[in-house]
Amino acid sequence: METLLRITNLGRSFGSYSALSEVNLSLGRGEVLGLLGPNGAGKTTCLRLLSGVLAPTTGRIELHGIDLAKHPLKAKRQLGYLPEQPPLYPELCVDEYLKFCAQLHQLSRRQLASAIAEVKQRCGLEDSGQRLIGTLSKGFRQRLGIAQAIIHRPQLLILDEPTEGLDPLQMRTLRKLIRELARECSIILASHLLPEVQAVCDRVAILYQGRICFNDYLTTDQPIYGWRVRLGDGSTLMQLTALSGITGAVAIGEDRYRVLLDDDVDSAQFAQRVMRAGLQLRELVPERTDLERAFFDLIGVESER
Amino acid sequence: MIGIMVGREVRSAFVTSLPWILLTGGQIILAWIFLQVIERFSGLEAAGRTVTLTQELTLNVFGFAAILIMFAAPLLAMRLLSSEFQDGRFDLISAAPVRMVTVVLGKFIGLLILITPLCLLPLVNVLLLAYSAELDYEQLAAATLGLWLAAALFAAVGLYASSLTAQPGTAVFIALSMLLLLSIIGRAEQFTATTLSLFEWLTWNEHLFWCLIGTIRLSDLAYFGFFILFFLLLTQRRLTNRYLQ
Repeated sequence: METLLRITNLGRSFGSYSALSEVNLSLGRGEVLGLLGPNGAGKTTCLRLLSGVLAPTTGRIELHGIDLAKHPLKAKRQLGYLPEQPPLYPELCVDEYLKFCAQLHQLSRRQLASAIAEVKQRCGLEDSGQRLIGTLSKGFRQRLGIAQAIIHRPQLLILDEPTEGLDPLQMRTLRKLIRELARECSIILASHLLPEVQAVCDRVAILYQGRICFNDYLTTDQPIYGWRVRLGDGSTLMQLTALSGITGAVAIGEDRYRVLLDDDVDSAQFAQRVMRAGLQLRELVPERTDLERAFFDLIGVESER
Repeated sequence: MIGIMVGREVRSAFVTSLPWILLTGGQIILAWIFLQVIERFSGLEAAGRTVTLTQELTLNVFGFAAILIMFAAPLLAMRLLSSEFQDGRFDLISAAPVRMVTVVLGKFIGLLILITPLCLLPLVNVLLLAYSAELDYEQLAAATLGLWLAAALFAAVGLYASSLTAQPGTAVFIALSMLLLLSIIGRAEQFTATTLSLFEWLTWNEHLFWCLIGTIRLSDLAYFGFFILFFLLLTQRRLTNRYLQ
C-alpha cells in the first residue's frame, strides 16, 4: 500500500508540559486510522499538529512526501480538517459558508457550484442550502463540518471526535458517511469511544499520556481471547469452574466472570452447560482483541487514579 | 484570496446588528452636535465669528466623530480574531492553505470597510448645508481623509488587541487602553522640564487636527501609515506565534 502520511518522532510541548512525544506513524492510501485514547491523552494535539494548526516541537510530518512545516501551503491543499467543534459561522447560510470554504481551498470559480452541490448531496444537506447555520441541529452542523473538510477533495481527512454529542441514529449515519469517504481518501479519526473506532476504522493507535502504546490492524477474524460471562444472582466461581470444558475462570465483579474455554468447546455448548447446571446466563460476550484489553487496561489505569 | 476574506468579514458583520447600531447611534449623536454648532454659529454677530463655518463644523463634528470611531473600532474588531479564537472558528483558516499576511490584510480591509460609513457620517451631515451656506469643500475633503486615516489606525490597533486574547471583552479593553494612551500621551510634554516633541508626535489627535483645519502634511500621512503598518505587523507576528507556541 502506498504511504500517504508519514509521522516521524513527533512531539509537542506546552512550556514544560509534554502533550505528545515520540509519535511514529504511517498511513496508507484509503486507510482509516482510529486514534483512540482517554480524555487528555493527546489526541486533539496530535490532530492539530497533523492539520498544520500547531507547529510540532520535535519531529516531522510528511504528506505525500511534502514536509508540512517546510511547505505548509502545498501540504494543506491535500488536507481536510474537522476540529472537535465544527468551525462554522452561524450568521451565514449553508451555501455561503461552503462557498467560502471552497474559495479558501482555492477552487476555481468554474468548480465552485459543482463542488458545493456534490458535498451537499454526500452529506445529506441538499435541502439546507439556504438555511442559516445558527438554526441547524447538532447533527446537521456536524455534517456541514464534514462537508467543509471534503469540499476540495483532500487526500487526507482528519476528524476529531466527529460523532461526539450525536444521537445513535445520527452516529450511524455519520459512520456510514465516513466509510464512504474512505473509498476516496485516507482518514484519521480521533475518539475516546472504542465501539466507534471498531465500527469505522481499519487500524487503531491508542494514545496514552502523549505516547502511542498500541498500533495494530483491526480484523474481523481475530482470535477470541476469552468470554465475559454474567450469571444470575448468587452464583459462585466454584459453580462455574465445576462445569466441563472450562480451562480457567476468574471473578471480575458480582456475578461477573472471565472464562477461558477448551479449544473443542464453542460458545453454544458452553451456554447449554451453564443452563443445564441451573445457572442463569444473562450475558456471554467474547473478548476478541488485544485492542480491547489494551484500551480497558488504560481506562482501568485512569479510573484507579 | 484577500478579497474572499474581506467579502466574508463584511457579509458576516452586516447581517449582525452591531454595525447598524453603531451607525444609528453615531448619526444621532453627530446630528445633535451638528445642530448645536449651527445654532451657536448662526447666533453670533459677523464680528464675533473668528473661524469659518466649515472650520467650526470640521473641528466639532469631525472631531467628535473621531472619538466615536475610537470606541466603535475595538467593538467591531473583537469579533474578527478574538471571537474566532474563542469558539474555534479560527481553525478553519489555520488549516487552510492561506498565508497569515493574507489573513491579517483580509481582516483589516474588512474592518476598514465596516468603519468607512462611520467616517462618512460627518460629511453627509455637513453636506446638508451645501445649498444654504458657503462651505470649503477642500477642507471637508481633507477632514474626511484625516478621519478615515485615524479610523484605519484605530482598526489596526483593534485588530492587534483582538489577536492577543480569546476573550472579546478583554480585547476591547486592551484596544481602548492603547488608544486612550495614544490620545493623551501628548500631554506628557506638559510634565517634562524640556520640550520633548516626541510625545506630541505620538498622539493621533495632533495629526488629525491638521487635517481638520484643511492641511494635509506628509508628516501626518507618514504617522498614520507608520502606525497602521506597525500594528498590522504586530498582529501578523502574534498569529504566527500562536502557531508556534
